Amino acid sequence: MRTLIIAMMVAVHGVQPAAAQRPDSTRADSLARARADSIRIVRELEAMAARGGATQAPRQAGASNPRMLPDISAVGDLIGDLSPKGSTQEDGSRFGVRELELALQAAVDPYFRGDLFLGFSDAEGVHIEQAFLTATALPWRLEARLGRFLTPFGKQNTTHRHDLHTVEHSYVVQRFLGEEGLKNTGVYLARVFSPLGFYQELILTVVDRIGEAPEDLVAEEPANKKLSGLGYSARLRNYWDLSEASNLEISASAMTGRKEQPLTQPVSVDDQVISAALARQTTLGVDLTFRWRPLQQGLYRSFILQGEFMRQLNRDPADLPPPLDLVDYAGPRRDFSGGYLFARYQVSRRTFLGGRYDWVQDPETEGVSLTAGSGLLEFFPSEFSKLVASVERRSLKGFGGTTRFLLQASFAVGPHKPHPF
Amino acid sequence: MSRVLSLALLLAATASSPRSAGAQLRVVTSTTDLSNIARQVGGTRIVTRSIGQGYQDPHFIEAKPSFVLELAKADVWAFVGLDLEIGWMPLLIDGARNAKIRPGGAGYVDVSKVIPVIDIPSGNVDRSQGDVHALGNPHYWLDPANGRRIAWLFRDKFTQLDPNGATTYTANAKAFEARLGAAEQAWAADLAAIKGKPVVAWHTSWRYFAEFTGMNIVGFMEPKPGVPPSPAHLAGLIQTMKRTGAKVIVMEPFYDRKTADFVASKTGATVLVLPPSVGGKKGIDDYIDLMKYDISQLAAAVR
Repeated sequence: MRTLIIAMMVAVHGVQPAAAQRPDSTRADSLARARADSIRIVRELEAMAARGGATQAPRQAGASNPRMLPDISAVGDLIGDLSPKGSTQEDGSRFGVRELELALQAAVDPYFRGDLFLGFSDAEGVHIEQAFLTATALPWRLEARLGRFLTPFGKQNTTHRHDLHTVEHSYVVQRFLGEEGLKNTGVYLARVFSPLGFYQELILTVVDRIGEAPEDLVAEEPANKKLSGLGYSARLRNYWDLSEASNLEISASAMTGRKEQPLTQPVSVDDQVISAALARQTTLGVDLTFRWRPLQQGLYRSFILQGEFMRQLNRDPADLPPPLDLVDYAGPRRDFSGGYLFARYQVSRRTFLGGRYDWVQDPETEGVSLTAGSGLLEFFPSEFSKLVASVERRSLKGFGGTTRFLLQASFAVGPHKPHPF
Repeated sequence: MSRVLSLALLLAATASSPRSAGAQLRVVTSTTDLSNIARQVGGTRIVTRSIGQGYQDPHFIEAKPSFVLELAKADVWAFVGLDLEIGWMPLLIDGARNAKIRPGGAGYVDVSKVIPVIDIPSGNVDRSQGDVHALGNPHYWLDPANGRRIAWLFRDKFTQLDPNGATTYTANAKAFEARLGAAEQAWAADLAAIKGKPVVAWHTSWRYFAEFTGMNIVGFMEPKPGVPPSPAHLAGLIQTMKRTGAKVIVMEPFYDRKTADFVASKTGATVLVLPPSVGGKKGIDDYIDLMKYDISQLAAAVR
């Protein structure tokens, strides 16, 4: 192609009308120079070809994404509940589509990336799972996000439910953060640093509120009316490579905000029916993850040990509107703790065996201990599909136990996504 | 607002300011092959490190946070491309928050851009075809012609980022090319022995090597790229090997040898575990040594 262009240039040069008006000697010199130049360039091209094309792209194809479409992908998360005493799913179904997630992701401009995740489920209809703008060009290893995102609290909560190693979130996450984990809308700022020679990351968020506003609870004023009522969180990650094959992460998280908590009965204050009081709730957590995966046999063998511990601190409402008193307050008046320990071993290229032990002082039952032990078998036909069978024995102290058999199938279509770490 | 914007721009400019004179270029690569060639071209003017190891499947590297720290300080991020690193690279690039090595940055080097790629699928591509690389086969470093292209690409990139080292980079690239040329002449007898010989490979990673050596890949252990062998596929493969007379199964050190041994036991073939990358076997610490080792081992097996 280059040669063709050069030949055309030489040809054009050779027939320039102006050249015809010059003296013959000048014209001859000009032609000689042109020929010499073209020969020199052809020689250079030959030399480049001889050394393997150097840095000239040999492909003539254009951009692979000329219309600049975003990456479009979808994840299907199907659930089956074969528990012997009936379904333990919220909607009572034995088989259901737990969620479909549609993701649109692309660079917005040289400074931002956009990530949009829409969720579709029978229970919630269509909802915004996540939607955030990430600033990608900040200095000092800073990353900023604006929008709705998974709250960076603990380890499990930052993982999409369908990407979890287990069928469901741990009970401490379900009870303290929400059945599907916690996501919030606001600002996220993170910085990576390593003053001590290992990886550390500090993530701070300020969000509109902690968790979703309950539909059935109305407080005298919005939880976020004062800046102190917004949700605030901090997470410090610490990561070490123990060896080529093993590594350890120990991190800590904290989160605080005001939440609507129920009153014993609705009251009318200034012609407004109030059913909730605003009370501060603070949650603290530590998490530990140990991973082992030998580099050479990493396709076939791996092990992960993960644990989290959380403590939920509940404070009484600071100021209840008259005539309300603390006796009218039905929200939590004590603190709760909980945690889990999970392990998973890879037994073959596609098969994993795992187990989890859960314990939580359940806020839904005023702190009665809920314990659960579960085992699971995971089978990955490929990177893009997963089949899971899980058996769980769950007990609420003083109320007996329940055995659950859960099946999960999840699949992803669209561009290859990075493997979560 | 404009003040804030100005401040942000100033900070960004400060963060991406040119390297101080005399400082070494920090070159991080996805594979050991790229790292080794970069070192040979850059000499002492660069420091280089590879994210992947030569005995590791480059498709399945974990995006460890410690790699983020490496990339955060990098002047150059050179990777194989063609989606080889798609399972882990985006997390590292995003985590590093280093504008120099993000797409569009001066240090973002997709090496595949200078490679004549083979095995580009035509027609509709979907995952029913396995873990197919829609942009073409990414295992191109196992052809010395591409080794040369990589070296000259690094010469150009290092020269762009460190113009004071231009003479050194060019001299080093020429020296690499000369050493490779001399080695190729020494391989002539082995290549003649390999040419046309039927072999079975585990994965499509040996396609460029086959193009160079002339070995005739009559079948793959994987029924489709990235898909583990099924009994039915192995039964068919055994028949193919018997029909074609293939007596060698070439595989990487990170695949399960038991399956290859089973096929070999049914066909009388030899299982040849070859390092696909620098460092894939102890003592193979140089790109030219890697090619020499693989060629000589294969030649010995097919003779």
